[in-house]
Amino acid sequence: MTAAARAVTVGIVLGLAVVAPSARGQDVVAARAAFAAGQYDAAIRTLRGSESGDAVRLLVRVLAEVGRYDDAIDAARHYEGRAPGSPDVANVLGEVLLATGDLNGAEGAFDRAASDGASDSLDARYNLAALYLMTGRVDRARPGFDEFIDVYNRGGRLSSEELTAVASAVWDLSVLDWRLAEDALRAYDEAIAADPNNLEAQVRVGNLFLDKYQGTEALETFEAILAKNSRHPGALLGLAHQRRFAGSPEAMGLVDRALETNPGLVSALVLRGILFVELEQLDRAEEDVSRALAVNPNALDALTLRAGVRFLRGEGAGFEDARQRVFAINPRHAGFYTALAELSVRNRLYEEAVEFAGQAVRLDSLSWSGLQLLGINQLRTGAMDEGRANLERAFAGNPYDAWTKNTLDLLDTLQTYDVSRSQRFTFAIDGKESEVLAPYFAEIAEEAYDRMATRYGYRPEPPVRVEVFPDHQDFSVRTVGLAGLGALGVSFGPVVAMDSPSAREIGEFHWAATLWHEIAHTFHLGLTEHRVPRWFTEGLAVYEERRARSGWGDRVSPGFLRAFLEERLHTVSELNNGFLRPSFPEQLIYSYYQASLVCDLIAQDHGADVLTAILRGYRDGEATGEIFERVLGMDLAAFDARFEQYVRTRFARPLEALESAGRAAGGAAHSAADLRRLAGERPDDFVVQLALGQALVAEGRFELAIDPLRNAKALFPQYAGHGSPYALLAQAYRETGAPEQAAVELRALTALNAGDYRALLELAELEDQLGNRQAAADALDRAMYVYPMELEPHRRLAELAEEAGNWEIAVRERHAVLALDPVNRADALYHLARASLGAGRLDEARRYVLWSLEIAPSFEAAQDLLLEIHDARANR
Amino acid sequence: MNRRMLVLGLAAALIFPAAGAAQTYLLVVGGIGGEPTYRERFQVWCSALVSAARDQLGIADDRIVYLAEDPERDPRIDDRSTKANIEAAFADLAQRAEPSGRLVVVLVGHGSTTGNVPRFNLPGPDMQAEDFAAQLSQFATQEIVVVNLASASGDWVGALSGERRVIVTATRSAAERHETVFGGYFVAALTSEDADTDKDGRISLLEAFEYARREVARVYQRQNRLLTEHALLDDDGDGSGAHEPDPATGDGARARTWFLTEADVTAAQPETDDSVLATLYGDRARLEGALAELRARKDSMDAAAYEAELERLLLELARTNRSIREREARIPG
Repeated sequence: MTAAARAVTVGIVLGLAVVAPSARGQDVVAARAAFAAGQYDAAIRTLRGSESGDAVRLLVRVLAEVGRYDDAIDAARHYEGRAPGSPDVANVLGEVLLATGDLNGAEGAFDRAASDGASDSLDARYNLAALYLMTGRVDRARPGFDEFIDVYNRGGRLSSEELTAVASAVWDLSVLDWRLAEDALRAYDEAIAADPNNLEAQVRVGNLFLDKYQGTEALETFEAILAKNSRHPGALLGLAHQRRFAGSPEAMGLVDRALETNPGLVSALVLRGILFVELEQLDRAEEDVSRALAVNPNALDALTLRAGVRFLRGEGAGFEDARQRVFAINPRHAGFYTALAELSVRNRLYEEAVEFAGQAVRLDSLSWSGLQLLGINQLRTGAMDEGRANLERAFAGNPYDAWTKNTLDLLDTLQTYDVSRSQRFTFAIDGKESEVLAPYFAEIAEEAYDRMATRYGYRPEPPVRVEVFPDHQDFSVRTVGLAGLGALGVSFGPVVAMDSPSAREIGEFHWAATLWHEIAHTFHLGLTEHRVPRWFTEGLAVYEERRARSGWGDRVSPGFLRAFLEERLHTVSELNNGFLRPSFPEQLIYSYYQASLVCDLIAQDHGADVLTAILRGYRDGEATGEIFERVLGMDLAAFDARFEQYVRTRFARPLEALESAGRAAGGAAHSAADLRRLAGERPDDFVVQLALGQALVAEGRFELAIDPLRNAKALFPQYAGHGSPYALLAQAYRETGAPEQAAVELRALTALNAGDYRALLELAELEDQLGNRQAAADALDRAMYVYPMELEPHRRLAELAEEAGNWEIAVRERHAVLALDPVNRADALYHLARASLGAGRLDEARRYVLWSLEIAPSFEAAQDLLLEIHDARANR
Repeated sequence: MNRRMLVLGLAAALIFPAAGAAQTYLLVVGGIGGEPTYRERFQVWCSALVSAARDQLGIADDRIVYLAEDPERDPRIDDRSTKANIEAAFADLAQRAEPSGRLVVVLVGHGSTTGNVPRFNLPGPDMQAEDFAAQLSQFATQEIVVVNLASASGDWVGALSGERRVIVTATRSAAERHETVFGGYFVAALTSEDADTDKDGRISLLEAFEYARREVARVYQRQNRLLTEHALLDDDGDGSGAHEPDPATGDGARARTWFLTEADVTAAQPETDDSVLATLYGDRARLEGALAELRARKDSMDAAAYEAELERLLLELARTNRSIREREARIPG
């Protein structure tokens, strides 16, 4: 700019300042207040027709915030038409042009504002540098950002807007030095202190917290903004990100609210598209991508999502087209590959995630998120050393990444675990537990592998790695990088991670069924090349649990049937939503069971092999509807109808018994007398009959409790969950001196629900008392698959096995006793030696008895055993 | 080994008392229970202890003094567990105990601390650790065991520790104020086969302590609760107890050889007039000594050589013991 031009510009600015009446200044103040409060229409009304640069700048910002981009551009152009050469609104015009994809126009506008001395030139300089970065001109962007450090350090008085620009520039530079993020936060704080109504600065603070995994601070920041302006699209969008990060289903609603304020907010449309991808609803995701690109055809995030959707659909050419468009805009856009890696993870495509993240890192060695994704997904695919190395690099670049830090901490823990191997599996188990758990885990895992390999005609490449975490938070970190995951296990395909039985309350979950379930996922993921939708693999995994052993897997409950009656369950075509976005707390659990019933129905109507055919359809890229039509010969609507009929038939009696239950039935508010009356009036009401039985048991009136409990059982014989008629009847029979009948009830209960640890122990005790030693041993054996960490059940099972001459079981159980750190170690070693001798393992027997006598040399029985073993070895 | 054999083991020890057998005097004090649950619990522990002492450990009735909150609850209770009665009991025992005698004091109840002064809660005025220390000073030559099974009992170690003393507390400090379960397991351990970890047919104080400590940890783990009681044992007189005593390095050496049975547990070899048996006893003692020596050298030996030598000695010991049993069975009486 020449000196003359500068003078002209100053003159125009001064002139405008002179002609603008003071009332207009007051209007701008009022409009600014309305804008900050989310009263966008009022702000626009106030500013319409204003002629001052300040007012028009604000007007453009308000119009842009509600998505009226064309109006915003018109307002800016109109102003520039009246004040040719004025840079006053160039920066905001540039922002709108950028938001609508006119990159060249935006660059020119920013350049003008930055060069021609506009009052917001500092902001323009930031926008220009950011645009350079966005378009891959890193060499121009970084010096631009660098200047802001000088600007700040010069110590001159900066406006709130200018401090925001400084903070944003410093944040961008923090990729080079993570410590700068702290400076960025400080500058944002100063910006907000200078103008508490600078909501844009506050949104950026929230996003900075999100970037640094400080979800709580981000939440508080966004909520504080929304307290001032409940319609603020940036805050709503930020909060949506935060909720998604926390796994909350609220994210979608928040995005919708952001889009109500600004239907053309590209970043919100992209986030909603991502949420649809996560729900495996690719059509809806693509619709949002198209909307976003209609607003801004050069939006990198929208083009990236388009590429992602096409990748997930297997549309190679379409993917390549989108990819080329992205790289035509920014040849160094590592974010393209990190986004694809994330989408791949969401769709359980871990190998692909490794590939994409690797490309991101190759494109930009400072892509810390790329390194993080690379490392995490290498760990998921079993490449432990490479994964750790990349995570350490990621951590060096961005130590704020909680996922990276947590995972590195976890790897430190994992290094201390014992590693054992079976034919097709590797087990990493905490050293305190591995001796007890490893034999059981190996037995179940190998059996599962053999049975499923036969069924599916597919063999996952060994070894499959199984990690078992005694601390649930470690499992959670392994799975999602952060604490707080509610699941019990996860399969990444070649790697399975799960809670140890000791990670939960005693008997809280059936570890063996969980392991079986996760191994089923490993088969499904491998067979379909990770293309199986969540609902189907979950349903099929539960179905596999039920096929594994009687009583394994999810079971029907009154709650599920009530949800069915009240039409709160998804149709099969929408079942994925029940897993990915449950609309009420129990829906996730019900969805597992419902999906397994779908598999039951398919197997019943079409044969179990059809389930494998469906998996192959997914592998070949077919959608559920296409597969069902081809394989089952019916469309999804017809299948939905068939499923409804199936449930009504299969559970006809309990559905009737629940349908007739009045709302007043049961509950603590009723006395036994009330319940007796109600039970008399409603003999077919499951809830009333059970509630009466429960009340009478609680009162110790066991004889009287038996009839209503038997009624309840007859009405809903499939129910064996908590507080079932079986459990209460067993109690009543025991209390009334009828152990045989109590055993009958417990046998029935545990046949339906093999996860009831206490019932299994109780049954074992009863069978023992009744002289049914084999049945007692069976019950104890089943109990080990729920909770193998208690010493006494192992000891008793060992004794029963020894009595029956079942020496292999005896050896396993004596090993378990020893591993559970008995007080009397010499005794435990002696018994292990004796069992080993029984099993013909003379060398092991010798070793164990020597260890026993080393502790207790005068242990007579062990001395005799040593002599016996010595003779046996001499004579072999 | 079953329980019957364990008792026989004890009986065998009683049959062959050594000349220097020391008499054991037992003072059991049940403190104030407060709530019915604790009254019941303390009563059960105390009664079980008294029964075990008399019926299985061989301590004569007249050397057992049992004081408790409510004498009506058990005819064996000698008096109410007031401070005055406890002091009187100490005075009486000090009069009666031989210079080489042994005194065992077991406190069952609630503990507390007021102004850093550890107390044991009694009907009427409480007794402080210092009060007990003063009472124990009357036993200048006797071996003394004090077992305080109360909550907040950890500081009693420092107050009572000394030469010829084994002090056991249910907690490691006054800060562990929650009710303890250690006592139940400790009392059970005194007669439990499971507690006899070296399988010598007797349960040492160390074995009882270890058994109770580990069972407490197990029960807390099972209930998924943070461990709020860490029992201590001090027997080296340094005023500092160990939660995991190691006789090789500090606390535990004395407790390992301390048995509540009446027999002299240090007797290395039973007496006999039978020369064959005497020789066998001698062989056994030699082999046991060789084994102890071998185990002491374990870390410096090649593993295979150690195992071979261990097996050789153990086989010889097993054969010797078998011969001893056969010979003993042939000797009448």
